[in-house]
Amino acid sequence: MNSDGQPMRQTAPWPVEISQHHSAHPPDRTVAVEAAALNKWFGSFHALKDINLAVPQGSRIVICGPSGSGKSTLIRCANGLETFQGGTIRIGGAELTGDEKQLQKIRRTVGMVFQQFNLFPHLTVMANCTLALRRVLGKSRSEAVGIAVHYLERVRIPEQAHKYPAQLSGGQQQRVAIARALCMNPRIMLFDEPTSSLDPEMVKEVLDVMIDLAADGMTMLCVTHEMGFAREAADQVVFMDQGRIVETASPATFFAAPSQERTRLFLNKMLR
Amino acid sequence: MNFDFAFAATTLPTILGVIGTTISVALLSCAGASILGFSFEIARRAGSLPAYLMRFTIDFIRSTPVLAWLYFLYFVLPHWGFTLPALVVGILGLSIYFSGYLAEVFKAGIDAIPKGQAEAAKALGLNRIDVVSFVLAPQMLRNVAAPVGNHFVSILKATPYLAAIAVPEMLGSALDIASNTYRYAEPLTVVGIVFLVLALTIAQGVRLLERKLHGPTNR
Ligand SMILES: Nc1ncnc2c1ncn2[C@@H]1O[C@H](COP(=O)(O)OP(=O)(O)OP(=O)(O)O)[C@@H](O)[C@H]1O
Ligand SMILES: [Mg+2]
Repeated sequence: MNSDGQPMRQTAPWPVEISQHHSAHPPDRTVAVEAAALNKWFGSFHALKDINLAVPQGSRIVICGPSGSGKSTLIRCANGLETFQGGTIRIGGAELTGDEKQLQKIRRTVGMVFQQFNLFPHLTVMANCTLALRRVLGKSRSEAVGIAVHYLERVRIPEQAHKYPAQLSGGQQQRVAIARALCMNPRIMLFDEPTSSLDPEMVKEVLDVMIDLAADGMTMLCVTHEMGFAREAADQVVFMDQGRIVETASPATFFAAPSQERTRLFLNKMLR
Repeated sequence: MNFDFAFAATTLPTILGVIGTTISVALLSCAGASILGFSFEIARRAGSLPAYLMRFTIDFIRSTPVLAWLYFLYFVLPHWGFTLPALVVGILGLSIYFSGYLAEVFKAGIDAIPKGQAEAAKALGLNRIDVVSFVLAPQMLRNVAAPVGNHFVSILKATPYLAAIAVPEMLGSALDIASNTYRYAEPLTVVGIVFLVLALTIAQGVRLLERKLHGPTNR
């Protein structure tokens, strides 16, 4: 497992801390996100049942499964957008306590990309990217702009910086959302069906950016039904159904020889 | 009785003489109603008991006539030792009466912001105050700007009620002219036209504002 720094960060325009120095951060940093015996209820509805999942630093894990199986809920637990009632979640070794201050600190290191983009419509692309750099990391204006330009170039959209989200296509908006998250130099990126609300012709431009990120060693936990992405970029594919993890396998095994009947049924439907 | 255009023209300066009061009262009442209405709406979101209390308050305010508020504040409060100047009573009365409507405006303005906006802001590590001040509040203000502008027109058109408590405003001054000259048609027509022009101008301004805020660059 590639557990050290991500090459892309070495090109960042400011000095970044790279997790090569394991001695400074003992075993913690080798696991970006770890859920243990995680249980979550919405009222009386048991949405996540005994979830055990580790995302090692530098790995790419794809979660798939039928609608309502708890994929979004799981990934949202990983940055505290959902609370949970049983078990533990560790981010970079630190256990989530539910404390607001701790959450704010941890969220700086966890980037999230949503199905609906969730760009701030009243801010330009540039301001979307620099808001957290300035307010959360306290960067100066020029420093923040420099970082934003860098990541907008990475998602191949630098010329749109002055526009508002509504002036962009869906694919462009999602790439801006990815850049906005990358600006914070996160140790892991969470994606919740990033291409599901895109027109088919725009899916590729977003997947290409994600595949680039994966190739550069970014740690990724990704809910997606893009089986091409899973084949190309994932180390592991996790299949969920009814709040449980049914099967975890390498992409090769997962697609060619899934061990569970439910996985086979799901794949038959997905791949038709 | 014929309509005397020359006489009508002579009433105009008197009526326009208090247009400043009318507009100031409407502006201050609109600000007061917005602050009250916004506070009601924030309180309403604080829990189920506050929600119930605020719902009751808003319904109560909206189902009482403006004049009842003005008379209450002007004639009843002094019995309990609170004597307020007519102008203050006028602004207070309009603020209270319209706060019930403005509360609904703020409710809609907040509800229209997708849940994902606050989530995306939190996911970036912003603290609660920054989530509200940099992400939610600007969007709410954009959502409420046009409806608040429309309510401002309603408030403006309600200022003649203040004639009932002798606040110098346009309808009152038209009625003064009428009772002094026994000619009603001219001053009342003039005051009607002045209100019409004012209301149409503001409505047009609101429409432009709306187009600017929700145009192609700024959904
Ligand atoms: N806020 C909520 N309140 C109550 N139930 C919820 C809530 N959010 C999700 N659920 C329920 O939890 C279950 C899992 O939802 P989740 O959104 O995690 O599914 P998903 O696997 O992401 O599905 P999809 O593929 O449709 O996005 C669903 O049955 C859903 O109805
Ligand atoms: Mg989902």
